[in-house]
Amino acid sequence: MAELFLVADDLHKSFNDHKAVNGVTFTIARNEIFGLLGPNGAGKTTTIRMLSTVLDPDAGEVKISGFSTREHPNEARALIGVCPQELALYEDLSAFDNLMFFGRLVGMNSREAKAQTMSNLAMMGLETRAKDKVSKFSGGMKRRVNLGIALMGQPKLLFLDEPTVGIDPQSRNKIFETIQGLRQKGMTVLYTTHYMEEADRLCDRIAIMDGGKIVAMDTSRALKANIGDPDKTTLEDVFLKLTGRSLRD
Amino acid sequence: MKRALIVALRELKTYLGDKGDLAFSLLLPIATFALIYGAFGGPGLFHGTAFIVNEDTGVYGKQLVENIAAQKSLDVELLARADAETKLERSDLRLVLLIPAGFSDRLRGNQPVQLTFLQRGNGGQEGQIVASIIRGVVSELNQEFQVRGQVEAALAGKGVPQDKITLTVWQFVEREREHPLVGVKEIAAGSKPNMVNQFLPGIITMYVLFSVSISASVIVDERRKGTLERLLTTRLTIGELFLGKFLASVFRGYVQTLILLALAYAVFQIFTPSSFIESLAVALVFAMAASALGLVIAAIARTQDAATWIDVFVTMFMTMLGGTFFEIGGGTILYSLSKLSLNTYANDSFKNLISEGGSITSLGLELAVMGGVIIAGIAVSRFLFKALPQGK
Repeated sequence: MAELFLVADDLHKSFNDHKAVNGVTFTIARNEIFGLLGPNGAGKTTTIRMLSTVLDPDAGEVKISGFSTREHPNEARALIGVCPQELALYEDLSAFDNLMFFGRLVGMNSREAKAQTMSNLAMMGLETRAKDKVSKFSGGMKRRVNLGIALMGQPKLLFLDEPTVGIDPQSRNKIFETIQGLRQKGMTVLYTTHYMEEADRLCDRIAIMDGGKIVAMDTSRALKANIGDPDKTTLEDVFLKLTGRSLRD
Repeated sequence: MKRALIVALRELKTYLGDKGDLAFSLLLPIATFALIYGAFGGPGLFHGTAFIVNEDTGVYGKQLVENIAAQKSLDVELLARADAETKLERSDLRLVLLIPAGFSDRLRGNQPVQLTFLQRGNGGQEGQIVASIIRGVVSELNQEFQVRGQVEAALAGKGVPQDKITLTVWQFVEREREHPLVGVKEIAAGSKPNMVNQFLPGIITMYVLFSVSISASVIVDERRKGTLERLLTTRLTIGELFLGKFLASVFRGYVQTLILLALAYAVFQIFTPSSFIESLAVALVFAMAASALGLVIAAIARTQDAATWIDVFVTMFMTMLGGTFFEIGGGTILYSLSKLSLNTYANDSFKNLISEGGSITSLGLELAVMGGVIIAGIAVSRFLFKALPQGK
């Protein structure tokens, strides 16, 4: 059996009277790409915030490589990289300075951070724009910087919260290639997206969330097989079948 | 501590990289200083313009004009008579000195000659002062001619050359001017006549208080950029985050004060080297206390608006009750409330050092209070950030 790298056990989180996450349980094996899908407001981002130590769960527990995020948050943080849904970078600094800054904060010394900054920028196809201010970048380039920052410190577990939203196909393809390359190097990835074909293409297993709960979790093919011929059914069919067709805010 | 410094350096890099923000923050204290200098830094003595119509073509009319122009408190503007009369008619001028034609010839002939003040009404306040100064100049000239006349009369027929008489009279008159028998000395009433001494402590206090505003927005700013959560997923602790923000705010607030104090030191010369260094030290402690107070606001505020309004309230409260611009009498409720204001302690410290010639060693209470605010502010802000809903 594959080694479990992340364990989320019965997570609950409420904001005022609203239950954003209500009893979420799943595991991610080492070197697995795990997809977390769901309509808007399903609780995906809140779940990632709890997994990445930003939020404390009201109940339940998260363990990353055996470290409880509540009891050993620093040890857990040392293993993770987070690429948030919204761009989280300093637009008034250069791409180089952004990566250097976060590299130093994840514990690298100046020389290591510089080497990895150049390596990550090259991986993202941004080496020639390293010294340019991020404010001058296109949306796709900013997304790539966002991902480059998450990779500083060579995390063992990467949280990618809709990393390809609002960008052109070329930048999206570049991000795909990067994620697949990272997986080959042994990284574990939790990936959320609204693009079903992305999840189908990238993820080993997929969990579909709705109303703060996981309503289905399996491989893409197994999920499709549950509702019809897996060769003719799309992941979008599965998604709509499980979460309904009503509009979400 | 190392990561706190990394956060502070990142903040300073952004500050130094924004040319507009940097120029504004560095020019602001210089502009303020220029205003202070304009308001309080001048000589404080009368300075006016003597408008003169010189109809004399000889050397003595010209000499009189030069003697008037040599007065430190007067500039001279020469006019034609018609022009002067038109301006007097239109009230553009209030007083003009008329040197009549033949002025030099009459003096050379030892004959009395009349200067005239052409004036509108009483000549105005400035005109009367100008007239008074001109009378003094004329009196000196008069004295010189009287002495020369008497000397020439005494030496008449004794074969003394005229140029020797002129030189001797000039030397005599000069000696009299330099060592008059009756002199006048000015002693200003009151022990603190210097307006700069009086107002500079309050102005410095206000400048350092900017540190509250700078640090009040630091966390909201990270929220707005979306970087707060990312910072919290690194190995940066909340304590290090707040300490880093604190250091950057202290630097930014202190730089402006440093410029203001340095200019005051160089231009007004109201500091001794020791009182200047002590003032810098007090300003640094106060900047730290103000930044720590701003961090508490930063920990509470969830939006930029909230940070701004809380900052405005706190700053106004401290300014009004801190005796920054007016004294608060002892034994009143206001006096008791003023003890809640950081400004009170900062202002008292600067007054002691700048206006009263005191030493930092006598500021134990003030420094202790500000030190307490620094420690409590950093600790409380960290606690509030963790404890209040939606802090993280």
